[in-house]
Amino acid sequence: MQQKGWGIFFGVVLLAAFLSIAVGPLVGWWLPANVSSFGPDVDYLYYVILGFTTFFFLLTEVLLVWAMYRFAGRPGNKSQYVEGHHRLEMLWTVVPGGILLYIAIAQISAWERIKYQAKMPDPDLVMQVTARQWDWTMRYADTPLPENHRRWAEIPNFDDIYLPDELHCWKGANVRIYLKTNDVLHSLFLPQLRLKQDALPGKTIPVWFNATDANTRFNASTGNCEWTDKNKEWEIACAELCGGGHYRMRGLLYVHETKDDYLNWLKHAQKAARSRQPEKKATPVAAKD
Amino acid sequence: MSVSHSHSAEAHAHHELSFLRKYIFSEDHKIIGIQFLFSGLIFFLIGGTLALLVRLQVGFPKGINLPWFPISWGGRMSPDFYAMVFSMHATIMIFFVIIPLLTGAFGNFTIPLMIGARDMAFPKLNMMSYWFMWPAFAVILSSFFVEGGAGASGWTSYPLLASATMPAGEGFHSPASPHSGIGQICWLVALLFVGVSSMMGSINYMTTIINLRAPGMTMFRMPMTVWAMFITAILQSMALPVLTVALILQLLDKTINTTFFLPPGGMAFGNWHTGPGGGQTLLWQHLFWFYSHPAVYIMILPAMGMVSDIISTFARKHLFGYKPMVLAIAGIAGLGFIVWGHHMFQSGMDPRLGTGFMIATIMIALPSAVKTFNWLGTIWGANIQYTTAMLNALAFVAMFVIGGLSGIFMAATPVDVYFHDTYFIVAHIHYVLFMSSIFGIFGGIYYWFPKMFGRLMNEKWGKVHFVLTFLFSNCTFFPMHIIGIAGHPRRYYDSTLYRFLDNVQPLNQFMTISAFLLALAQIIFLVNFFWSLFRGAKAGANPWHSNTLEWTAPSPPPHGNFVQTPIVRRGPYEYGNPDMEEDYLPQAEPQPSGIPAPAH
Repeated sequence: MQQKGWGIFFGVVLLAAFLSIAVGPLVGWWLPANVSSFGPDVDYLYYVILGFTTFFFLLTEVLLVWAMYRFAGRPGNKSQYVEGHHRLEMLWTVVPGGILLYIAIAQISAWERIKYQAKMPDPDLVMQVTARQWDWTMRYADTPLPENHRRWAEIPNFDDIYLPDELHCWKGANVRIYLKTNDVLHSLFLPQLRLKQDALPGKTIPVWFNATDANTRFNASTGNCEWTDKNKEWEIACAELCGGGHYRMRGLLYVHETKDDYLNWLKHAQKAARSRQPEKKATPVAAKD
Repeated sequence: MSVSHSHSAEAHAHHELSFLRKYIFSEDHKIIGIQFLFSGLIFFLIGGTLALLVRLQVGFPKGINLPWFPISWGGRMSPDFYAMVFSMHATIMIFFVIIPLLTGAFGNFTIPLMIGARDMAFPKLNMMSYWFMWPAFAVILSSFFVEGGAGASGWTSYPLLASATMPAGEGFHSPASPHSGIGQICWLVALLFVGVSSMMGSINYMTTIINLRAPGMTMFRMPMTVWAMFITAILQSMALPVLTVALILQLLDKTINTTFFLPPGGMAFGNWHTGPGGGQTLLWQHLFWFYSHPAVYIMILPAMGMVSDIISTFARKHLFGYKPMVLAIAGIAGLGFIVWGHHMFQSGMDPRLGTGFMIATIMIALPSAVKTFNWLGTIWGANIQYTTAMLNALAFVAMFVIGGLSGIFMAATPVDVYFHDTYFIVAHIHYVLFMSSIFGIFGGIYYWFPKMFGRLMNEKWGKVHFVLTFLFSNCTFFPMHIIGIAGHPRRYYDSTLYRFLDNVQPLNQFMTISAFLLALAQIIFLVNFFWSLFRGAKAGANPWHSNTLEWTAPSPPPHGNFVQTPIVRRGPYEYGNPDMEEDYLPQAEPQPSGIPAPAH
């Protein structure tokens, strides 16, 4: 009996682990709500993989626990004398092989859609984001779509607006970000947009997204952008180690309801920038710890 | 080759060696293996302590203040110190614990014994491979005390955080991080020594396995442990030169201001500009992962081999599908060389390369699945003896399933966009490296301890240690999957700054408390280990009734291993033969009369 207990012990621990994941969606330990046009593709593929892995997790662990229980040693007993089984080997090579190949091929179109430069949609709004230790500088042109935007990304314009840690766009806009870094590697991570891209020293990397939900409204009387819903405070994080302050490269994503609302905000931001000191970058150089 | 070797081994046997030559500067593979074992375990304590500091910060970023806990502590470490702690935790665990324990300790101890050789092919080279670890030990430990502290760029040491340097003549400070100065140089030098040590070991293992097998020990009569060590050695010998090159390039960047990893335009740190460079930061990632992805398999394949032997022994049953198991290891090793790019899906590498790397990476799950099913096949219909070694080996299988399956999420490029560099990858690596490799190592220690020291470890306390370790390690590492799904980035000093992580902070605290309990449980292992070393019950030559050759030698085996060179007559897994009264038939035992000899 004591021998059989080991199978039960393994079973209980594995069941607890399984349940802790299974209750995740109920208690909020799950993916944050998606607000990106390609987010459903990512989430769908996540659930496909989750389905297959859950099946194989349950299959192998149940067999293991059952075998540990059923075949616990008894004195005087002998094991079966089997060296292998050719057809079983074929079965458990070909079936998982087919499933894995399906999983791999299923990823390709979503990957192309998210990252291939040739497949990125024509932008409605272009901005250039520069990471450094430890903040983000968002550079906006005076119009949502500057002419020859690839060139604009490389050559700053007198009319550009620089804002620290605030990423503004409007709902439904195809946003193109030209991502750069001043110093070390960083990674632009927007969990709700299912977006992540490293910033690479010496390179400009195009990134795109299209937000399917709005979270802010520009208030012309106060000059502030106000959240439409307290729970829609979408954050920007850094996902590549960049030194001591890695954890505090926090930014915010402002998705305006309409293009007009965005333009109102842009006009205001422009005026505010002009009335400031002539120096371009409003943010002080971050003090190093 | 083998002739001259056996001569020298006999010459050794004739005169008694001094203590210094016998136990310190020993050329005996068993002593060298035990030396690797002890230094690995000491570094395991250091790496584990660093892990507790990491958990302390992540679980309680603002200090400890729990209603039910008597100690309230508001102290905090600095963000740079935290970065140093997690970087050195990973560096020490990977390069000073798991690789030296698996290949250094178990590779050295088991290979000659399991193939019936008197020693390694190159005993002096073997000694050098251990003593090349000592400069690495000295440099990595002293790096904590140099100006700026030890390296803090993660175990991956990506440029430019790791490699940025002041202009020539202005010292070794780094504008990127205070830890990237002399501390980073120490990191590079230490790893160079570790690499050279591993290289010497791998050459020795390959040569020994190819040339020094006992008569009758054909390749397909070798135990899985030896197969795994053999393929691991091939992996090491092919991947290590690339790491060595990468380390030297970064060392040159840091000391004589070359610019292998600095882009042409140079970079600006605050208002200070580095001046022009001529290289690429991505170059490091390619070179580093070309080694370090195969290194992931270097850290698991030997454990897979050991676990296969332990499971077959205590299941009292023939290993299910021996040849598919060998092919699976070879398949993992072969595919292992063309998947390194999956660490770089979000790195800015051309995404079209990502597609190819993804397909290769997802397919590498196949040989892992084949191995798992064969282990299940081995215990199906078995007569399982639940020794501590067996429990650890079964835990390896149960946990490797989780670690293997979680890898598929990050291998899938679109899903990886979200999961990359979150705690999900931290969960994955710990399920492979702690929950699998370390359980394999524990299993190996409990299993071969009687052969190493002639005494058995205490089984009762071994089981207590196992139960607590299995429980608390799952409590420590499993919730990492959950906070990873919630998007928690890795290497964060204080995640309470972020609203989207608010509701997973209690899990962080739970994991920290579990980690401390897990650490406490290891005290049982240490006490059992040292108590058994001197007071354990005496083990005979073959306490587990096992078939492989090392159990025909006395425990512990003398210098030269075997009283008489064994002649191998069959494969290593003849358990439970229905025609015999005994349920095992050792490899070197003459064929009992009336029982047909196996075809292979």
